[in-house]
Amino acid sequence: MTVYSKTNTLLQASNIGLGYDDKIILRDINFCIKDIVRPGMQQGQVISLIGRSGIGKTQLFKILSGLQKPTTGTVAINGDQTVKAGDMGVIFQNYYLFEWRTVYQSLLMAAKKNPQLKGKEKAMVDHYAGEFQLTSELKKYPQQLSGGQRQRASIIQQLLKGSSFLLLDEPFSGLDVCVLDKVTDLLLQVSLSDELKTLIIVSHDISTSVAISDTVLILGNEAGKEGATIKKEIDLVERDLAWKKDIKKEKTFIETVAEIKACL
Amino acid sequence: MKNIFNPFASISKQNTSIMIVVQVLITLMVWHNTSNGLIPRPGQVAAAFGKLLTTKLLLDNMLVSLVLTLKAMCYSIIITLFFTYASVIPFFKTIAQFIVKCRYLTLTGLIFIFTLLTKDGSQLKLSLLVFGIVPFFTTSFLAVILNIDKQEFELCKTLGYSNWQTLYEVIIVGKADQVFEILRQNFAISWLMITMVEGLSMSEGGIGSLLIKYNKYNDLTNVIALQLLIFLIGLCFDFLLGTTRRWLFPHCKLKQATS
Repeated sequence: MTVYSKTNTLLQASNIGLGYDDKIILRDINFCIKDIVRPGMQQGQVISLIGRSGIGKTQLFKILSGLQKPTTGTVAINGDQTVKAGDMGVIFQNYYLFEWRTVYQSLLMAAKKNPQLKGKEKAMVDHYAGEFQLTSELKKYPQQLSGGQRQRASIIQQLLKGSSFLLLDEPFSGLDVCVLDKVTDLLLQVSLSDELKTLIIVSHDISTSVAISDTVLILGNEAGKEGATIKKEIDLVERDLAWKKDIKKEKTFIETVAEIKACL
Repeated sequence: MKNIFNPFASISKQNTSIMIVVQVLITLMVWHNTSNGLIPRPGQVAAAFGKLLTTKLLLDNMLVSLVLTLKAMCYSIIITLFFTYASVIPFFKTIAQFIVKCRYLTLTGLIFIFTLLTKDGSQLKLSLLVFGIVPFFTTSFLAVILNIDKQEFELCKTLGYSNWQTLYEVIIVGKADQVFEILRQNFAISWLMITMVEGLSMSEGGIGSLLIKYNKYNDLTNVIALQLLIFLIGLCFDFLLGTTRRWLFPHCKLKQATS
């Protein structure tokens, strides 16, 4: 069993609800993300938010990122600070980048938004580009990049901006098996880059999401109640399913995936 | 070559060139054979066109028209950009929307008012042109702003941009290439209007006044030759603005290739 402890609260979602006119989309959403501490290493957090298509994942994603205000409730980070747009790094499903900027210009603009990088923006862009194997693509425009390169550029852009939180909307959709492995490795690499780095992955790909997460939140509808809520929270560390290579082959993993599927 | 009548078929550059040459030849043949005494034949127009090109009269008039058009385009683009960029501010939004509606106003009905407001014929022509062009420019550019992908704004927000920084990045910088495209598309409108407004103050000359003079004396050969020249200059500007856009904004070339 891995030695770990959960300490400070990094994010607290309290009573989140969202409705349009008479229709309730989300209701009573409550969850808390805590800093996971593992002795002798920097261990970030990876949380998967899983739910069926059309259940309201994207709306919750936008609320968590501060791009949309909930009808009720709050999302607080760093203690009691209500989240607002710009507090979280956001990677959209199609890895959107400014089409009129080269990759280098986009990354530099993001770096200039991070006060901690003042004076060393260019060096940090080069550093991350090297680390994510994008150095030779820096002068290119987004239209000239492959899907994987766009994704890496989007991730670097948000990392340079300096937020501890990184929200990813369906990062595994449309990827082939080889690229999928690279993406999961990349996300794990990001999660290990800083103790407070917290990745929130919104996805309907249960198996891949669970394989790289430490916590799973299941968004779904409860019988007789309108609007989706967090039906179940699974602590994968407790089940000894987190931070392991080739976890997909283990019996407990397969059982957990089946449990999640049954819950949806 | 069989593909030229197939929907969505793509044909080689060589075949396209052959097809265009054949189409032009057919048009000229039809024109030649259907012309009667009143409508000049292609050969007569070509001769008049060649003769026109060598006259100082044409060069002087063409210069007058070009200078006036370029001046009007400059003023129009400044006014258009101001109101369209400002249209994201509620106070200016309604003004921009009103300008768009102004394209339904006819210039003919406003000539007297503009005559009272301006000092001389030159100013009258310029102001009428600007008044005629701006609503069309504004309509096109407002459509660009309204069709901006929501994700462009959201990306700015997630990067921590203020509203003014978002305006600068997404609309001013991000859509700069579109300004050139709108300029290219709307140049035809200003070129169309120039012949009309030049007829209002003929003392200064211009191709519009030249065209009216030829029309007055039923000199149809020169009228068509002049129309041909106006058409060719229009095509030159179209090419020039398109090339400048691709040179200044390389990403627009990529966008066209991927779409």
